Amino acid sequence: MRLFSSISLGLLAVPSVLAASSWGFDDGTVSVQGKKAGVGRGSKDKLSVSQPLSKSVELGPDDNLKILITTKEDKQSKRPHQTFLWIKDPKSSLDTSFAFQVKENGKAKVEISQKDIPNQLLSTSGPLEASLVIASFGSSKPYSSKAFDLSVDRDPGLPAQEKPLRYGKLPEIHHIFKSDPTSPPKIITLIFTAAVVFALPVLVASWLYLGANLNHVTKAFGSSPVPHALFFLSILAMEGVFFMYYTSWNLFQTLPGALGIGMVAFLSGSRALREVQGRRLSGFR
Amino acid sequence: MQWFSSFLVLALLSLVQALSSTGNRLLVIVEEAAEKTKYSKFWGDLEGRGYKLDFQSPKNEKLALFLHGERKYDHLLLLPSKSKGLGPSLTPNLLLQFIKQEGNILLTLSADSPTPTAISSLLLELDIHLPPDRNTLVVDHFAYDAASAAEKHDVLLLPQPASLRSGVKNFFGGDGTIAFPRSVAQELGNTTPLLAPIVRAKSTAYSYNPKDEGESVDDPFVVGEQISLVSSVQARNSARFTVFGSAEALENKWFDAKVKPVGGKDSKTANREFANQVSAWTFKEVGVLKVGDVQHHLSTISEQASGNDSVSQLGYLNPSIYRIKNDVTFNIELSEYSYDHLEPLKIAAQDALQLEFTMLSPFHRLNLTPISQGLNSTTFSSTFKLPDQHGIFSFRVNYKRPFLTNVDVKREVTVRHFAHDEYPRSWEISAGWVWIAGIWVTIAGWMAFVGIWLWSEPPYAAAKGKKTQ
Repeated sequence: MRLFSSISLGLLAVPSVLAASSWGFDDGTVSVQGKKAGVGRGSKDKLSVSQPLSKSVELGPDDNLKILITTKEDKQSKRPHQTFLWIKDPKSSLDTSFAFQVKENGKAKVEISQKDIPNQLLSTSGPLEASLVIASFGSSKPYSSKAFDLSVDRDPGLPAQEKPLRYGKLPEIHHIFKSDPTSPPKIITLIFTAAVVFALPVLVASWLYLGANLNHVTKAFGSSPVPHALFFLSILAMEGVFFMYYTSWNLFQTLPGALGIGMVAFLSGSRALREVQGRRLSGFR
Repeated sequence: MQWFSSFLVLALLSLVQALSSTGNRLLVIVEEAAEKTKYSKFWGDLEGRGYKLDFQSPKNEKLALFLHGERKYDHLLLLPSKSKGLGPSLTPNLLLQFIKQEGNILLTLSADSPTPTAISSLLLELDIHLPPDRNTLVVDHFAYDAASAAEKHDVLLLPQPASLRSGVKNFFGGDGTIAFPRSVAQELGNTTPLLAPIVRAKSTAYSYNPKDEGESVDDPFVVGEQISLVSSVQARNSARFTVFGSAEALENKWFDAKVKPVGGKDSKTANREFANQVSAWTFKEVGVLKVGDVQHHLSTISEQASGNDSVSQLGYLNPSIYRIKNDVTFNIELSEYSYDHLEPLKIAAQDALQLEFTMLSPFHRLNLTPISQGLNSTTFSSTFKLPDQHGIFSFRVNYKRPFLTNVDVKREVTVRHFAHDEYPRSWEISAGWVWIAGIWVTIAGWMAFVGIWLWSEPPYAAAKGKKTQ
C-alpha cells in the first residue's frame, strides 16, 4: 500500500503542475460612444485583470458600450470557449451575459447598447455590476471577476414595463360604506319643536279671546247624551286608530278599525247634529 | 431476530406508504428495451410507491393513450428516443389532449439524443423554448463535477433548489447536491404564471451546440440563471407537465454517485431523492389541495369576547339571500394531500388565503384566518359586513399558487336591500321631531275645534232672524 501511495502521489504531482494554468486577459478597454457626434459624452478606460475600475461607466440611451480584450491562458493569447460579459443587478440578483466575438488570436470584442439590456435590469436604481467571465474546457482555472460598475441613464420618457402576472397574495380590499344620514344637533330640533308646540296655546288663547266657550255642553248632553258622547269619542277614537297605524298596526288591522269607528261616527253623528239643528232652529245658535 | 423481521416488515410497509391522488397507471415510453435496465432503481422506487408501470416503445402500433375517449393511463413518462418523432400515438396533439384530460406527463431530455421536432413544438405550445439546434448541451466551467467531467464540464452540480419565491411551498428542497449530466437547456416564457422553473443553472452556465460551436460560443441561445434544467407547467385544470433536462440523472449510476465539485470535497449525489421528489410532484402525490366543507351564515358579533369567540351563528347555514350590511361569517375547510394521507393545510406567513366577495369585481378581499385544525383539514374563516350594494354576489376563494393544485370555489348569494320596515322609525330620527310635533298639535287643535263647534254658545245675542255686531 505504501509503495502504491507514493507512486500515486508522484502521478498526481505531474498533472498538478499543468493545472496551475489559468485564464485571463490583457489590453482590456471599455469605451462608451454616443451616437450624436461631438457630444463629448464618450469615455474610454483600461480594464485590469485584478481590480475593478474605481469609477463607474455611464451608458446613456443612445450610447454604445464597447469592450475590447485579448484573452490569454497563462500569458499566451488563446481563444477560450466562453468569453462573456456578465451583467448583474446586486439588488434583485437578476443577471444576464453577453458573449464576446473572439478571433483565433484571442482578440475579443463585444458591443452593447441600452436596447440589448433586458428591461428588468434597466429599471433598477443604482449601478449594475459588470464582470468578465473567461473559461474553457479542460483543467485551466477559469476567470470571473468584476470589471466595472455600469450605471445606466434611462430615458425618463420611456413608459415603465408592466409586471407579468404571477400567482400570489393580492392586496386586501375593504369596502368603504356610504355614511349614514345624519341629523342636526338635538338642541336646534328641540328649539323648533318647542316653537311648534307653542302654537297650540296661542291658538286656544286666540279662540278664547274671540269668545269661544263650551256653554251648551249641559244642554247638549241633557237632551241627547249618548249620541254626543259617542260622536266625540268616535272622533277621538279615529285619531287613536291613526296613532296605532303610525306605531304598530298594518293596513289590514287599521281598515276594519277605521271602518267600524267611522260607522259609529256616522250614526251617532247624525243624531248629535240633529240635536244641534234643534238648538239652531230654536234660536240658541 | 424477531425484531429484525418486524423491522423489515415495517420498512417494506413504509416503501408502499405513498400513493398518487389521481391513479397509479403509469406508462413509460422507452425506445429500446435494453435502456430500461439503466433506470432500474428509479422503477423500483416508483413501484414501491404503488405505481403500475407499463413499458412501451413508441414504435408499438398497439400503443394508445386513450380508450373510448377516456385516458388509459393516468401518468406518462417519456424517455429520450433517438428517432425523429414519437410515433403516431404520441403526437403533440395527443399529448396535449392527455393534459387536457388531466393526465400528468414527465418528459426527459438528453443531450446525447437529438430532440425530436415534435417535442420542441409541443414545448413551444406551452411557452417552453428549447434551443433551435437539435443537438445542444449545457456546460458550466465553474460548477462541474471534477470526478467525471474534468475535461468536458458537461456534468453540472447544483444544490437542491430553494423555494421559488417567498411564500411558495418548496417540494424539492434538501441539503444534497444533484448531478445533471449532459442536459438540455430550456428557456421559459415570461408572460404566463403557469410555468415555474424547478432547477435553474448557475449564472456562469450556458448552452451550446457541440458540433458547430466547438471552438468558441458567440451567440448562445440561453445563458446563466435563465437556463431552466427542470421546468414545470401546471395547467389550469391542474394537470402537471414536467420537463426534466437530463435523462441520465435518473440512471442507476448517478443515483449514488460520488461527485467532487470544483474546489470542494467529495460528496454523494442526492439524485435519487430529487428524482423521487420530482416524480411525486408530477404524478400528484404532493401539492394536491382538497376542499372540504364550505359554509356561510349570518352572525351576531358580541362585544364581550374577542376574535372568533365573539362571533355566533344566527339562523340557518348557507342561506340563499342576505341583506345589505349583514354580518356574515364564511368558513372553508382545506386539506393538503401528502404522499398517502390528507394533512391540514398550512399557509406560509408571507402568503394568504383570501376570500373575495364579488359581484363583477371584488367589493371585499379579506384574508381568511385558520380557526380550527382537525386531523385532516384546517378550517379557515372570516367575518365581515356585507357591502351596502344590493345584487347577486359570490363568495369566491381563488387560491392558485405555483406547485399547488388550483382551488376556485364559488358560492352565489343574493343580497337584498332594506325592507320597508327595516329602516329607523321616524321618532328615532331626531330631525323629524319638529314635524311629529306639528302633526300632533294639529290633531289637538282639531279636537278642540270639534268640541267648541258642537257645544259653544254664540258670543253675540241670538236675535230672532237678526244679527247684531
